[in-house]
Amino acid sequence: MSLAQEQAFEPLIVAFCCNWCSYAGGDLAGTSRMTYPANVRVIRVPCSSRVSPNLILRAFQRGADGVLVAGCHPGDCHYVTGNYYARRRFSAMRRFLEYLGIEQERFEVHWISASEGSKFAAVMGEVTEKIRALGPNRKLRDAR
Amino acid sequence: MKQLAEIMKDIAAQSLSRGEVDLVIGWQKGPLWWQSYPAFIEGNEGNGETGSLTWDSFCVPNLSRYLLEELPERKKVALFVKGCDALGFNQILQDKRAEREKVVLYGIPCTGLVDPDKVESAGLGRGLLEVKRDGDELVFVYDSGEQKAQARDFLYDKCLTCRYPNPVVYDQMLGEAAPVQPEERFESVQELEKMDADERFAYWARQFSRCIRCFACRNACPACSCRECIFDIPEPRWLGKANELSETQFYQIIRAYHVAGRCVDCGECTRVCPVNIPLQELNRKFIKDINELYGEYDAGVDPEQEAPLVTYKTDDPAAFTES
Repeated sequence: MSLAQEQAFEPLIVAFCCNWCSYAGGDLAGTSRMTYPANVRVIRVPCSSRVSPNLILRAFQRGADGVLVAGCHPGDCHYVTGNYYARRRFSAMRRFLEYLGIEQERFEVHWISASEGSKFAAVMGEVTEKIRALGPNRKLRDAR
Repeated sequence: MKQLAEIMKDIAAQSLSRGEVDLVIGWQKGPLWWQSYPAFIEGNEGNGETGSLTWDSFCVPNLSRYLLEELPERKKVALFVKGCDALGFNQILQDKRAEREKVVLYGIPCTGLVDPDKVESAGLGRGLLEVKRDGDELVFVYDSGEQKAQARDFLYDKCLTCRYPNPVVYDQMLGEAAPVQPEERFESVQELEKMDADERFAYWARQFSRCIRCFACRNACPACSCRECIFDIPEPRWLGKANELSETQFYQIIRAYHVAGRCVDCGECTRVCPVNIPLQELNRKFIKDINELYGEYDAGVDPEQEAPLVTYKTDDPAAFTES
């Protein structure tokens, strides 16, 4: 990759947002006219525990530089317990990806409620800057 | 051990002829010294095959796994279990893929099994006819005579770290309890954790690049018990067919994740791998992390307990920053 291309690197972040909290938080950020980086592609899911590791890996395979899962704060899950399961499973998954050599920053989990529009914008900004600093992800990517 | 094999033959012959079970799963000898294969004996008095049952230092295949295919079609099955087979059986029970009352378990205390690769690399394989276990020693039998050696030098790595050599579940125990002397099992995981991210990625990429996706690791695993596997279904096609590293990484990561919290650490995945990928180091990473984060848990010890990833506590810690 040439220097010019390196400088032009724009990270691609896939954010799985739960319908009830984080997606609504993103909506609030939008209706409040807050700005956050356009690098983030939001995918609406029913619950953070709906996001299977298959989806996370598929995102990396198809070109994501970072993957984010956002859900309701523990205790606030629309389905009562979904994010409690998600917390355990993504904790295990995050450490496992790190063990395989994928930088920890590339897979993040955040709890963002429907009222936290500003937090939504801030988190998306932080994640984008972290990944920008890390550079493009080649690990796990399908080279074809 | 000869004695134990005789007891096994008697048990199989009796329970089949009395009609107590309609299938006995044990081990039988193949033509070569290192071959002890799963044996499936059925029919009236076992069709005269019960005499082929054996127990030696190579009876390593975990038999519990076969219940998944056999049990639905049988009234009752007799199964010989070592320590790791018994853990696998309990896991299958916990996953509700077997009924306890349909299985008769004969427990075998296991003093560790012999890795043929270690015999070969010690140069003892040439002309070898048979390997016998004599207490802490192995007796290598050749045409020209016999040779003795310390058994522990030849055991599978997974047997050196084994914490449950004696079956945790059985209906009848055959023989005296075996000594429990496990070595530290997370050593290689800790070594890998010390590397930096790129080194670790390179290490695993090198390992995975050998994978031929034969699915032996999945097929041998007592925790891989789904009726329909996501690697097989055509729609949605999660796993492609191409010979491509990222597809292999997908397979290996998801396989390990699917048994996380349920892996009994029997090490069969590593043993059956034809290209020597250290799969147990993947499973053990999950075991180690889950133990650290959510409390010590040994899959397969108590089928009534809940596996750590299908339960939660409201004050669980997380491996990411919560705010």
